[in-house]
Amino acid sequence: MTLFLQTTLNGLVLGGIYSLAAVGFSLVFGVLGIVNLTHGIFVVAGAYGALVLFTKLGIDPLLGIVPIGLALFAVGYVYQRTIIQWAVSRASLVASLVVTFGVAMMARNGLQLVFGPDVHTITPSYSFLSIPLGPLRIDVVRIVALGASLVLLTVLALVLARTHFGRAIRATAQQPLAAELCGLNVKNLHGLTFGLGAAMAGAAGAIIGIVQPFTAASEVAWTLNAFIVVVLGGIGSPAGALVGGLLLGLINAYTAQYVGPSLTQAAMFLVLVLMLLVRPSGLLGNAFGESR
Amino acid sequence: MSDILLSGRGVTKSFRGLTAIRDVDFDIPAGAIFGLIGPNGAGKSTLFNLITGYYALTGGEIRFKGEDISGLPTYRRNRAGIARAFQISKPFPALTVRENVRVGAMFGRPGAREAEDVVDQALAIAGLEELADRTAEGLTVGSLRKLEVARAFATRPSLLLADEPCAGLNPTETEEMVGCLRKVRELGTTVWLVEHDMKAVTSVCDRIVVIDAGQKIAEGTPQQVVANPKVIAAYLGEPLEDEAG
Amino acid sequence: MNRALVLLAAIAVVVAAVLLPLWIGPFYTRVIQLFFFSAGLAIAWNLLGGFAGYWSFGHTVFIGMGAFTAAHIVTRLGPFGDGPLSMVLPILLSGLLCGLFAAIIAYPILRLRGIYFAIAMLGVSQVVGELINNLSWFQGGVGVFLQTPLPAGTAPEDFFYYVFGALLLASILIAIAVRKSRFGYALLSIREDEDTAMMLGVATERYKIMAFVLSAVLVGTLGAVYGYSVGYFTTYTVFRLDFSLNMIVFCLIGGIGTLAGPVIGTAIMLFITQVLLSRFLDIHLLITGAIVVAIILLMPGGIIGALRSWSRPRVRGGTVATETGS
Repeated sequence: MTLFLQTTLNGLVLGGIYSLAAVGFSLVFGVLGIVNLTHGIFVVAGAYGALVLFTKLGIDPLLGIVPIGLALFAVGYVYQRTIIQWAVSRASLVASLVVTFGVAMMARNGLQLVFGPDVHTITPSYSFLSIPLGPLRIDVVRIVALGASLVLLTVLALVLARTHFGRAIRATAQQPLAAELCGLNVKNLHGLTFGLGAAMAGAAGAIIGIVQPFTAASEVAWTLNAFIVVVLGGIGSPAGALVGGLLLGLINAYTAQYVGPSLTQAAMFLVLVLMLLVRPSGLLGNAFGESR
Repeated sequence: MSDILLSGRGVTKSFRGLTAIRDVDFDIPAGAIFGLIGPNGAGKSTLFNLITGYYALTGGEIRFKGEDISGLPTYRRNRAGIARAFQISKPFPALTVRENVRVGAMFGRPGAREAEDVVDQALAIAGLEELADRTAEGLTVGSLRKLEVARAFATRPSLLLADEPCAGLNPTETEEMVGCLRKVRELGTTVWLVEHDMKAVTSVCDRIVVIDAGQKIAEGTPQQVVANPKVIAAYLGEPLEDEAG
Repeated sequence: MNRALVLLAAIAVVVAAVLLPLWIGPFYTRVIQLFFFSAGLAIAWNLLGGFAGYWSFGHTVFIGMGAFTAAHIVTRLGPFGDGPLSMVLPILLSGLLCGLFAAIIAYPILRLRGIYFAIAMLGVSQVVGELINNLSWFQGGVGVFLQTPLPAGTAPEDFFYYVFGALLLASILIAIAVRKSRFGYALLSIREDEDTAMMLGVATERYKIMAFVLSAVLVGTLGAVYGYSVGYFTTYTVFRLDFSLNMIVFCLIGGIGTLAGPVIGTAIMLFITQVLLSRFLDIHLLITGAIVVAIILLMPGGIIGALRSWSRPRVRGGTVATETGS
């Protein structure tokens, strides 16, 4: 029983991180209709950014979220307004899929050239502490990571639900043309949404850096995880990302504990395929309706 | 009246409790050009979608050539002889006009060998010969509508459901389209036409079915229908019970 | 172009390809062998992805299944005589088994469209790969041996040059036959608009499944031969994301959905990466990625598309069409 609870706890903690790492992907998918295969790069870039800030300047990764988020916001905005916008307007949404894939290859290669192929971890002072929780134990970094993820997800949900900016994004997602006619600058909003998605991914990366080892090649896994989270939870909303992320975390933890640690990937993808066949719009559906 | 080609009894369709088509009966005789009119949202396209099998019936039955076709998938209904030209043109954009029509001619029936003859015939009926080798992407609205009809005709249907083929066309193009539908009928295909352009409908149709808010409110010759008070009321916008459609 | 001329040119190319290993060294023989293999894969992918518009991101699953099936057939049931002909049966069976597997998963998975199909196939390849890797019966983790009974006095690179060359030729002929047939028209109409195709009497479900199975058989066959050509392999030798992605990239660069596109795209990309950049292994990904981005932005129809619109600019028929409401 303790083992089961411990596994569940581990799964939920992991799931919180998955949620944060996927929410930007989900937002971009929902609002722009683009499957951004560069997403994992943003996550890994966030982790490397946190690593540099921590080792060179001694800045704690959690504080590093702020500059990393801002930097990736800028990168995401420019990237969407240039390359992705060009691809969508000249070819198609599918073309944007391939373009983001090409950029991901370049960026992964670039990161490997700069940081080498080695596995990195970030180890702040609280790395090795853990807290007893009844019969269970939980690492401090994991609590911190989960807490930070939930805070960021909540902030994003509030921004989307309560602010003018959030309403504009939702309007744009549902009816780009009508939104444009109502005086919204849709191109700019798409850029901002993409930037926001990239910033969330970067923040997730900084948090992941303190919990898990990473390399440039991990980007593929983070992109796929984001896709699975979206398929499980539903497109476009922080709530969907949270549901999908927690489910994925639990699946991962239970499989590792009870089936075999080497089969977690297989289990995740099996659930993905089954979910696609049974309910392709995710448990919470598309936050922006069936317009796409 | 001659043989009944297509008939519906109690045809009903609901979407999540909203009834779009309620208890509609119809009999379309072979060899006719039939009209289907009604205000926006009356359920005309829904009715066509039920006949082609794009939607499943909620109630009632549809018989084609005496057979109940309610359970058949779309492509089987096409093979049985029901074709449809869409209101919103759906060409295969990357294929040429000829290839578009060829897809219509190639499938379903034995004797695919004469497919090429049918393609030529369909292109001729629609007056698309000169555009045959262009890609469908970038055709004008008028040419796209003709392509819809040509491609549907190429499946050699006994019934062609034409969904607003004249919408958005200028008077010359409308006239060409009416001529095209007449030729289709002369070649033995029954036509059921949804159309807003009353001039086109009354000039080409033998009989007209009128539906409003999902229910059939009238049927008759163009003259009868135009004079029918219910129809006038529906078009002038009496308060409706149900905005379904 | 004249039919006879095309035929003559094709024969000349085949003859030249047959004689080529006499002139070039083993390095280039291997490069061209890799080209034959990769072009065959791209053509097979294009049958489903290019013609029918169903982009699979996980076609490596058939390479892996093909290779492992051949290895297990030979070690558990074989050998089937000696000499190179003993390879024929295991290779054919492997291709057929991949086709069978495809036929089984086809019905549910082909109900998914677009990106969902693409990612589901990626999922299938991951699941199958992990299972082969982790279930001990398959020996994916430790690896399997698949010895090639080479004809006496033949270098392995020469032997596989001819085997892959013959398979590429077969794939090209199959692709041409498909494209020119009803089957090909059905696939194109599915790619362009599946619902309308159905309305025109195309049995879309059946044609999609046929394309999927045919593609799987071809890739599985190539995978089995690839297994022989490497001799010893583990899961990660044959279940490789970059195999899946290269098939797409090569088609994209040459021109997706065209007959010559996959071959041209493969030739160009392999020339760049294997010959021009053979000494800069660490920036392969960077270059490949840059080429992919450049192609999409500059010539979305690939090289074939660019050539076509260059030689015969598309005539616009007056005013622009209305919304096609997809």
